[in-house]
Amino acid sequence: MLTAKNLCKFYRRHAVEVRVLNGLNLEVRTGEFLSIVGASGSGKSTLLHLLGTLDAPDAGEVRLDGARIDNLPGRARDALRNRTFGYIFQFYHLLPELSLLDNVLMPAYIGHSVLSWWQTRAQWRRRATDLVAKVGLSHRIKHRPRELSGGEMQRTAIARALLMNPRILLADEPTGNLDAAAGSEIVRLLREINREERVTIVMVTHNLDIVAATDRVVRMVNGVVTEDTSAGEKPWQPPFPQPRLAAV
Amino acid sequence: MYKLLLCVRYLQTRYLALICIVSVMLGVATLIVVNAVMSGFSTKLKDRLHGVLSDIIVHSDRTDGIEVLDDNPDPHKRRPLTPEQTVAKIMASPAGDMIEAISPTIDTFAILQFRYRGTVIAKPVQVIGIDPASRARVGGFKEFLVRQRDLPGAPTFDLTPEARQRHTDNVKQYTLREGANVPAPKLGPLVKDPNAIPEPDENAMTGGIEKPQLHGIILGFALAHYRFDQDGVTVEEAMLKPGDNVRITTAGGEELKPVFGDFLVTDYLKTEMSEYDRNFVYVPLDQLQRIRGMLGRATSFQIKLKHYDRDKVAVSRELAKIFDSPDVHIATWEQHQGPLLAAIDVERAILNLLLFMIVGVAGFSILAIFSMIVSEKFRDIGIMKSLGASNWGVMSIFLGYGLLLGTVGCVAGTGLGLWITANINEIEMFLSKQTGVAVFPRDVYYFKEIPTNVEPLRVAAVNAGAVLIAAAFSLLPAWRAARLHPVRALRFE
Repeated sequence: MLTAKNLCKFYRRHAVEVRVLNGLNLEVRTGEFLSIVGASGSGKSTLLHLLGTLDAPDAGEVRLDGARIDNLPGRARDALRNRTFGYIFQFYHLLPELSLLDNVLMPAYIGHSVLSWWQTRAQWRRRATDLVAKVGLSHRIKHRPRELSGGEMQRTAIARALLMNPRILLADEPTGNLDAAAGSEIVRLLREINREERVTIVMVTHNLDIVAATDRVVRMVNGVVTEDTSAGEKPWQPPFPQPRLAAV
Repeated sequence: MYKLLLCVRYLQTRYLALICIVSVMLGVATLIVVNAVMSGFSTKLKDRLHGVLSDIIVHSDRTDGIEVLDDNPDPHKRRPLTPEQTVAKIMASPAGDMIEAISPTIDTFAILQFRYRGTVIAKPVQVIGIDPASRARVGGFKEFLVRQRDLPGAPTFDLTPEARQRHTDNVKQYTLREGANVPAPKLGPLVKDPNAIPEPDENAMTGGIEKPQLHGIILGFALAHYRFDQDGVTVEEAMLKPGDNVRITTAGGEELKPVFGDFLVTDYLKTEMSEYDRNFVYVPLDQLQRIRGMLGRATSFQIKLKHYDRDKVAVSRELAKIFDSPDVHIATWEQHQGPLLAAIDVERAILNLLLFMIVGVAGFSILAIFSMIVSEKFRDIGIMKSLGASNWGVMSIFLGYGLLLGTVGCVAGTGLGLWITANINEIEMFLSKQTGVAVFPRDVYYFKEIPTNVEPLRVAAVNAGAVLIAAAFSLLPAWRAARLHPVRALRFE
């Protein structure tokens, strides 16, 4: 479905070139819940940005259903980010001026002109309200982000990511800023979405507690994939004993 | 859709933006007020400049007046026409159909002398000899006469009974003060010139009422009055009242020698144009002709047209054929006052240019504040781009925000400007009272109140300019926001 081939990404800091991705190859399969783990600086988030067309690779290519998407014109990439991909960030990234409902509706606002929004606003509002209910925040619908807890903000971000019925959810450390209970709740929610809505999820995390809930785990070291649980029959094991996640 | 939503939300929540709105508002309000006042001054001044001038003025530099010869086929036998004959010749020409009225006048310099509180006062003036009836027909005369403006019929130089009584009282007081042996000043012109008019026949009495043979004079209001400040209040006192005696000394028409005549004040000319009210005195045309020894001559012709804008060029062309002499100047009232009118327009243009810099300063405040807002909103920009917002979309948010701030500032500024303009005199009085300094010294401008004239087109132009500046100055921060890389924006702390 989503393929990365020989992906390279360099950053130049002063005169030093830092290679973040170094010929990475990865295939994300339809409907799977994939987690990417690795130490800080291993290139997990950069990979996610390249897969989601937020950034362009210096070399290599990204393909969606066989078609290259990394070299699409700006408008086409904007449309992909609006309709095909859904983003969830570690720091939630909600717009502070807007209410919870408006934050959830933001992808629809972006995807519509004033006129087309006016014509379809009722159905979008209904969908947004349903999603807010699904993430359990109906009672907070008019609240501003600053009035929500971390877990509630992340659930809002998940509802926003789902609004446009994306095919792929890209989650960058979605539990990184939450306590264990809230983190578990978010992973449970993602698992549920993956199963019920048939949405492919690519989740970057360094929290090994939550990877057991995913279908497949990919490990990255120095910008390349070093382990992939789908490569062999043996399920992926963390390098040290991990407590089991409750209620996932 | 999100652009509109975020513009409105930013406007509601970013109080920093209020500074931009206030800047634009003050700039727009100032421009509207200044333009309204300048336009008011300009319109009133133009009205008054036109007021005492007729549509077209034919004027000669010759002291003995304009010379128009008759149409005798023998050039050697041609004789100069009288003003009345000249008027008839003009009316018989093709221009005659376009002319409503003509008034011949004599226009020259003079010294005005009179006694006030025991001292002799002399003032340089411009003395104009007129036939009051025809002068009134060409406009800009009767409506400025203090006493006669509301009276029916043509204005005259006749004295009112009160003025006669004052004159009689003046003579009695003079006799008492100076003694019986000193003859009281005679009425009528005290002219030693051979061409002097005969003194009025004091014995010519009809039924006990004197015939109106005394020669009246109409004085510019400021010539006959002086203003002084008394306990913070401007007081106006008449130095010359109707019935008081004045002497006009000027130069002869044929030869350069002093000639003079005495007149009795009969009315005041109050145009509220200090140049006219301080300089102009009107006397009967025939009297000035006699004093100056130029009977049957005039130095100017004041002409009123039926349709000024339509006919001014054609009539001027026809007049140039009749007054075919290099010493005769034919000018419309606008050409006559050209330098003054041009100065007003230049002054207004420069003032507008300078004041538009206020809006320019508002533009820079928008630039500074928008740059701050964009920096503050780095992460939001990243979020919007990750959700599919285009570069142009992000740019539109900030451009729209600038436009919205400009529009709100303009609406508020227009309201404030129009309110100040409507209440400018009350505000001026309040400020003068509070500061103790006259903000609008009326004796300088000679207006009773600050004139204003709101021109809708100019208000619209000021608004359009201000909105344009607001949008232009938000362009750079908006462009910066649009070019922001989404990953860098999302990582921005």
